[in-house]
Amino acid sequence: MTTPAGSADTNLPQTGPSAFDEHHPPSRELLDDCVHCGFCLPTCPTYQLWGEEMDSPRGRIYLMDLAEKGEIGLEGPLRQHIDACLGCMACVTACPSGVQYDKLLESVRPQLERNVPRTPSDRLFREAIFALFPYKRRLRAAALPGALYQKLAAVPAVRKLAAKLPGRLAALESLLPPVTVREAFATLPVHTSAVGDRRGRVALLSGCVQDVFFHRVNEATVRVLSAEGLDVLVPRDQQCCGALELHAGREDPALARAKRTIERFERLDVDHVVTNVAGCGSSMKDYAHLLADDPEWAVRAKEFSARVRDVHEVLAELGPRAPRSPVAARVAYHDACHLGHAQGVRTQPREVLRSIPELELLDIPEAALCCGSAGIYNMIMPDAADELGKRKADNVRSVEPAVVVTANPGCLLQIGKHLKDGTDGALPLLHPVQLLDASIRNVPVPRS
Amino acid sequence: MSDREGTLTALKPASLKEAREAVLDTAGRISVAGAGTAADWAGRLGPVDAVFDTTGLSGVITHNPGDMTVSVHAGTPLRALQEELAKHGQHLSFDAARVADGATVGGLVATADAGPSALVHGTLRDLVIGATTLLADGAVVRSGGHVIKNVAGFDLAKLLHGSYGTLGALVEVVLRLHPVPKAVGTVVVECDLAEAARLGREVLASQLEPTAVEWLSSGRLLVRIDSTDEALPARLERLTRLLGDGAAVAEADVWGEHAALTRGTEGAAVLRIGVKPSVLPGVLEGLPAAAATAGLGTGVATVSVPGTAVAEAHAAVHAAGGTSVLRSRPADLDAPAWGPPPSALAVLKAVKQRFDPDGRFGPGRYDPWEIS
Amino acid sequence: MALDPVARAAIVAALGPDDVVDDPVQTRAYECDGLTGYRVRPEIVLIPRDAEAVARAVKACHRNGVPFVARGAGTGLSGGALPVADGVVISLARLKRVLEVDPENRRAVVEPGVTNLEITAAVAAHGLYYAPDPSSQQVCTIGGNVAENSGGAHCLKYGFTTNHVLSMEVVLPDGELVTLGGDSPEQQGPDLRGVFLGSEGTLGITTKITVRLLRTPETVRTLLADFPSVAEAGEVVSDIVAAGIVPAAVEMMDTLAIEAAEEAVHAGYTVGVPAALVVELDGPIEQCDAEFTQVKEICDAHGCTRLHIAGSPEERAAIWRGRKAAFAAVGRISPDYFVQDGVVPRTRLAEVLGRIADMGDEAGLRVANVFHAGDGNLHPLVLYSAAAGETERAEELSGAIAELCVELGGSLSGEHGIGTDKACSMPKMYGEEDLAVMQRVRDAFDPEGICNPGKVLPTPRLCGERPGKYRPHPLEESGVIERL
Repeated sequence: MTTPAGSADTNLPQTGPSAFDEHHPPSRELLDDCVHCGFCLPTCPTYQLWGEEMDSPRGRIYLMDLAEKGEIGLEGPLRQHIDACLGCMACVTACPSGVQYDKLLESVRPQLERNVPRTPSDRLFREAIFALFPYKRRLRAAALPGALYQKLAAVPAVRKLAAKLPGRLAALESLLPPVTVREAFATLPVHTSAVGDRRGRVALLSGCVQDVFFHRVNEATVRVLSAEGLDVLVPRDQQCCGALELHAGREDPALARAKRTIERFERLDVDHVVTNVAGCGSSMKDYAHLLADDPEWAVRAKEFSARVRDVHEVLAELGPRAPRSPVAARVAYHDACHLGHAQGVRTQPREVLRSIPELELLDIPEAALCCGSAGIYNMIMPDAADELGKRKADNVRSVEPAVVVTANPGCLLQIGKHLKDGTDGALPLLHPVQLLDASIRNVPVPRS
Repeated sequence: MSDREGTLTALKPASLKEAREAVLDTAGRISVAGAGTAADWAGRLGPVDAVFDTTGLSGVITHNPGDMTVSVHAGTPLRALQEELAKHGQHLSFDAARVADGATVGGLVATADAGPSALVHGTLRDLVIGATTLLADGAVVRSGGHVIKNVAGFDLAKLLHGSYGTLGALVEVVLRLHPVPKAVGTVVVECDLAEAARLGREVLASQLEPTAVEWLSSGRLLVRIDSTDEALPARLERLTRLLGDGAAVAEADVWGEHAALTRGTEGAAVLRIGVKPSVLPGVLEGLPAAAATAGLGTGVATVSVPGTAVAEAHAAVHAAGGTSVLRSRPADLDAPAWGPPPSALAVLKAVKQRFDPDGRFGPGRYDPWEIS
Repeated sequence: MALDPVARAAIVAALGPDDVVDDPVQTRAYECDGLTGYRVRPEIVLIPRDAEAVARAVKACHRNGVPFVARGAGTGLSGGALPVADGVVISLARLKRVLEVDPENRRAVVEPGVTNLEITAAVAAHGLYYAPDPSSQQVCTIGGNVAENSGGAHCLKYGFTTNHVLSMEVVLPDGELVTLGGDSPEQQGPDLRGVFLGSEGTLGITTKITVRLLRTPETVRTLLADFPSVAEAGEVVSDIVAAGIVPAAVEMMDTLAIEAAEEAVHAGYTVGVPAALVVELDGPIEQCDAEFTQVKEICDAHGCTRLHIAGSPEERAAIWRGRKAAFAAVGRISPDYFVQDGVVPRTRLAEVLGRIADMGDEAGLRVANVFHAGDGNLHPLVLYSAAAGETERAEELSGAIAELCVELGGSLSGEHGIGTDKACSMPKMYGEEDLAVMQRVRDAFDPEGICNPGKVLPTPRLCGERPGKYRPHPLEESGVIERL
């Protein structure tokens, strides 16, 4: 007799109590969605690098399933392989069964942070990262020329790391691009009026890393939005949206930042809360899910998330109005994972770029594969990130672009670093709105 | 073999049951013979006690035109089968020269023969979808089936393809069929091999989808197109244009000459060789060939060389990474039938050992490899 | 029967620690392939980086009498890569180089871990492609394709893996590296290449594959047509074949399959129609266009309710995306399902579909159908809910469908393979003598029976009772390896 093929779930027996605690364990329904078909393997960066099943989405889900069934603990391999995940969500795009790996990862990472102690050096390093990145003021200090630890000696977590693990601090520093004093301290106008007939009103999240290292992108964003007929508000006292912490499983601080951000923006009379950072957009759109079982915040988070848009979504939906001047250049567009995979925003940035006359838009081979930036990943897993960065840079070069554009500061830093490692350090790396801004203002395309 | 015929037991079963009994009732060594169109191909047959003649096992077993498959007794002459199938607008996409001589389906499989259209349709290993084989110990084994797509179990018919009667006797074969092309045309160019190779590369790099691209040592390149009445003229015209000055659509049967050349010239040894298509012209230039046909897309050529040149020819083909086997040759020629053995010789021996442990079937066919 | 420590040390030493996974938790990630109903944890997973390392690994296993199972992307649906308890898994995931692209000879040499689609990607710039296209082509590896003799939607016209592989370098079960096949279709003796292809990893491990490439056709015309019944759609297929047209592909989906696919990928299928056909023709423009017109006429003559012709490569891709996502997408319309894979002679399609529908009604279960209509390869998906206690019934129905295919003159499997899953059904299709001779082939390659034991051919130990949806594999339960 025949046993039929293709069982739709792993049907592992429950052999003991779940290894997860009761606060948001990965749900049984979500785990069961995985049919083990393997369609996620080719797009998973770590599987591409190492070829090990445990470092694929399918393998990670299998381990989560085993832990939930009480077969394995959280420590050891499960933590190791979840830590190794970039959280790029390419697997979510690739999955034909609709497995929500993003939700699974989001529940498992905090479980690990809570329940599995890290080694002292790992802890030190992570503390330092999270003592630095979400804070504009500290980032500004770090961004200025000179040794990082001197500028940041005032931050205890960084001081500790510098004393004990100077090498890792240097690794962190090497990712930060030089920035002028003027740019690091510049601020955006709180209110910018629409040019011509007003088509709407939006608030802009200025971001932390973005505002310090890529302030020029924020400026371009404000100009483009207003040129396209939007009033733009930039609340002065906004803070980090919590994306970095959220994606690293630091649930409590991430939720605190989420609430602060909601609070800051919900009062504004705007159509949309706009961001030009892929990572921030994906986390803000996720607030609704994150706070769904918090009675005080559930409704507010849902309303907030519903208003969040990536800048390209807004521009594409409005359609071009401001006259564009030609930009005759071969432009390679890199899909940031948190835009393409996490938010499904792929066509809009291309549409926006195609609205520029004479621009030749190029797709990059292995477009779905992460560049290795992935939030804090290139700091905590530098070897893997370097391999991915190099591969991405090779793919970028292969289409021989004159300009590379992408909508996430992490990707800009990472790809920039690896393009410089080659012979083409001069290749301009920009956010798409910078190109659009140059086109609308009829000025030369900026070099950075 | 004919000189020994008088001392041999002739087995000519008319059914599978009889076939099995014949093999079980015969002690000693057995050669398998069909129509005898390739009796002297490959290694010279060693002494045998009986000849298993398949020609009594003839005819179609089932043919359901809608399924485009047919099962036949292995001793069925393919020519007769094609005539039968043609009534339904179907055929086996296979055009080895000796089909016209009455070769049987089983014999064609066992000798791994193929014609020019192998470029598109492959050899019989690509067209046989099922087989029933009788082994030396009387085991009757069926593999594959009556459907084109089937991955259940080992594909034993593949082992029989090119086995020259050494592993067992094919008794039934199931084949996949194709529609007979509604219109066929050939473009001919008079040219030498180097020029033919250049033109062949162009045709094969084009999207004209030729069914066969063959050069003949008479100095002609033949390119065949299988098509429909509506589309053929335009396709031939494009092909003619691509092939340039001197190319012309051929009169009816230009392929007869091709078939004649593959049969070889009188007194010569006929070698069948296969190499990478790109090295074929170079290999052929280096052989003292009196006649040749060269498949520029497949890398398969049939050449007539003096008997004294056979060993050297094997070596030259082997050096080019290819394979070679001796076909017809003068009866008294003492030359190796095969070049150096394949790297998997040990597996070949092991398969022979498991299928025919006493070495009853087809002794000598793989000499000088000493398979059995 | 734990793995002997001396054997373990020798096997680990064959590759070195970087290429070995032997943590008892990590190895669990390898305990099943795409068929999760069977699971066995391997003792050691080896992940070599080149052919020589594969040979060293196999040699170490052979010397120590330890069974091993090769694994590609682990997408197989018949449990062909199910590990053996206390045995070794040899993963080919790191052998993923495209070693040579030879446009002049229209071939490429690749390592087994290269995915099917990566081959085409690597050669596309030369106007070439690799023809076999299993639905999982973006993930399944060419090594796995060789093991399973994979087909795909376009195999009606272009054939299967076996028709597109010229030669393979393989590691035999004793660790010897040999080449099967050659530079041309000419053979040196019996077609060992051909018998190895589709042997489901039981005769050795492929380490290098030379594939034939085809010139991309000048034109491709694809249509999606809706029909008022599955029978009408089936008639269309018959008429196309009767007209002497060999389409590149003819695929059929029924209502449920359409619904699932549309929900997953929004490819533009009409939700609610009883049957949809995807017909694709390709070739030189004159012929392709003439035949395409004929196909459209045939569709119209059979009451086609909507005919959508792909107007751009993107639209064509969308139609295929819908078709190829159908399997996994069924998870969206049913909590649980079984995928079946059987073949009937094409002329018996209508009959078998009618009987499947009746059997489904009788069992009180829905069956979605996705199939390669041109070659009679069915993929009935039996939908059920484990929570509602329908598992046993669904399992019986799915099994009965496969056996119905054999009864109608077809095959137990068209492309998913026999593997672990259907080994015990083999006696339905083949006699004792047939199976015994297949075993002889196996013994010739692998006299010790250490290469993927327990697959393809039935053994009394495995087939004593009907295995369930998930019960411990007999090997797992007994901890004893069945040496064939």
